[in-house]
Amino acid sequence: MARKRILLAKMGLDCHDTGIITVAAMLRDAGHEVIYLGLHNNAEQVVKTMIEEDVDAVGISFLSGQHMTQARRLLERMRARDIRVPVFCGGVIPADDAAELRALGVADVFTPGTLSRDVVARVDRRLAGVTA
Amino acid sequence: MSPPGGRIAPRDHEEQIFETGAGIPIDELYGPDAITGFDPGRDLGLPGEYPYTRGPYAGMYRSRIWTRRFQVGFGSPEETNERIKYLAANGANGFVITIDLPTSYGFDSDDPLADGEVGVTGVAISTLEDMAALYAGFSPSQLSYALSIRPPVSSVTLAMLACVAKRLGVDFKDVIGTQQNDPFYQMSGGPLQTITQFFPLEGTLRLCIDNIEYISQHLPRLNWMVTNGYNLRETGVNAIQDGAFTLGHAFNIFRLARQRGLDIDVFPRRASFFLSASIDFFEEIAKFRAMRRLYARTMKNEFGASNPECWRLRFSVQSAGNTLTTQQPRVNMVRAGIEAMAAVFGGAQSIHLCSYDEGLGLPTEESSRMALRTQQVIAYESGITKTIDPLAGSYYVESLTNRMEQEIGGMLADIDRRGGMVACIRDGWLEAEINAARIRNQRDIDDGKRVLVGVNRFQVESSEDPPIHIHKIRADEWGERRAAMLRRYRADRDPGRWSDAMARIEGAWRDGDNMVPVLMDALEHRVTMGEAHKAMRKAQHWSFR
Repeated sequence: MARKRILLAKMGLDCHDTGIITVAAMLRDAGHEVIYLGLHNNAEQVVKTMIEEDVDAVGISFLSGQHMTQARRLLERMRARDIRVPVFCGGVIPADDAAELRALGVADVFTPGTLSRDVVARVDRRLAGVTA
Repeated sequence: MSPPGGRIAPRDHEEQIFETGAGIPIDELYGPDAITGFDPGRDLGLPGEYPYTRGPYAGMYRSRIWTRRFQVGFGSPEETNERIKYLAANGANGFVITIDLPTSYGFDSDDPLADGEVGVTGVAISTLEDMAALYAGFSPSQLSYALSIRPPVSSVTLAMLACVAKRLGVDFKDVIGTQQNDPFYQMSGGPLQTITQFFPLEGTLRLCIDNIEYISQHLPRLNWMVTNGYNLRETGVNAIQDGAFTLGHAFNIFRLARQRGLDIDVFPRRASFFLSASIDFFEEIAKFRAMRRLYARTMKNEFGASNPECWRLRFSVQSAGNTLTTQQPRVNMVRAGIEAMAAVFGGAQSIHLCSYDEGLGLPTEESSRMALRTQQVIAYESGITKTIDPLAGSYYVESLTNRMEQEIGGMLADIDRRGGMVACIRDGWLEAEINAARIRNQRDIDDGKRVLVGVNRFQVESSEDPPIHIHKIRADEWGERRAAMLRRYRADRDPGRWSDAMARIEGAWRDGDNMVPVLMDALEHRVTMGEAHKAMRKAQHWSFR
């Protein structure tokens, strides 16, 4: 898999970052370049960084129940700016919500207990242009 | 005596690793030589006596079963109060009130930053009336709430509680409960950014000490600080780091309080700890016993406290959320049961168990009830509570307790050499330690060094997992209702008195006064949570927007 640039960010006030920090390490180990934006970002800040850094994908992570609201906002901002890169979501996300996120256009949803090799394989497959 | 710990393949050809979660080797058998020089009088003492290894109180669970604390908080104060009434009727006798994210950062429910977050992770509290609603039907002298809240916000919630007590005619000296008031509470589980983004760190530390001062002078039965080791452990650090970072953190705050002139023989009486019970059974038991002994020795010998009440470490426990799995979630009930037993053998004062569905979403009434029932089976059926500290004298448990004390003590000395825990947090050392642990844990799960049933061993197809009912979040509805309430609240106040009260907050901040009485006055003039924080930020010439 060719090296890609992937932006990771926490959105809203949720500060649980164990998952996203771990995923950043997984993706770096797999050879990708990861830009981690830290906590408390809004959709506009994430989209702005996506443009400035010309990233190939973006990943957002939630533990406290804000995934639907925040993911919707990010997808709306991306559409408004006509940015078409895969959006990955991770965290404590109930199955119904994961299905809804996919229907909204999220490329893949990773829940707790996904092993590193599976995360990397699913991200790579998607970045290679294969639809999940 | 026996082969040392390490990786060997026993007869059943299943590879096992003979070490604790923190990497302490485990021998095949422990005998008298594992505890050479063991002196029960010196190393254990009696329950309720120095060095408190056998428990902080004489009698322990024979006198009183631990508090079955229930974590509750969602939506509005009125809805949370209804839920508390239901739970109280079902046998819960203590409550941890969780606060929503906007409130925990000091924002009102109608702040733009609160959009989509109101009432989601806990209850929203923006006004004095909100706190009064949370206590509806109860008196702060009879029902104990532990508010999971840190400064700056804990100064405002403390002032709210004092106002509620005053209004109900409850004498301050009778008020019970807990203000978590740990300045690094979000940090424990998030980076430094969580505590520096919306309020200056110096101001946060000042309010923490203001609260300790006010509580120790006026509300002698209120717990003024719960050092939160739990969130810290949840990041994935091991049991030794857990013990050392948590104690190091408390001792650093004690030093700051002493610098303010507070009496080391008075204020630590109402200090307590919030700790995680993880899945490594004996290591957790040893951790609790070792922390109690180390705390007693440090308070007596290093801080020079002569009041035995200041030597006694008391703690509440929550089972480890980071041991829960999303896969085959009902297995989590078994994990919580094991963790609860470790807390009981470790001598906890209060216990809260995670619900089995927490890897999937916020707990439901059904899953919360199961968590409470698990505790009740241990408390009332198993019989393990009927004699105090039954593992004392066990070659293994005493040797592991000694080892944990030695390891935690060594790491504490290292933290002191680095200038104390506050310095370690400021300069990023703690965050680097946490991040290294997170990545190490994931690798241990990836390569099978650490077994997670259902995740890297004994998996089933997800279709075989029975569906789980999920607690539904109504953030938009809660946000709109709260915004309308706040509009009415602000319309119904005297603007002149309100602005005078806001000015008094700024003035008192600049004069270095204790902020708690000033905030009480402001709340009574209908200053809101968000407004009080705005005034305090302004007094520090500090802005984040």
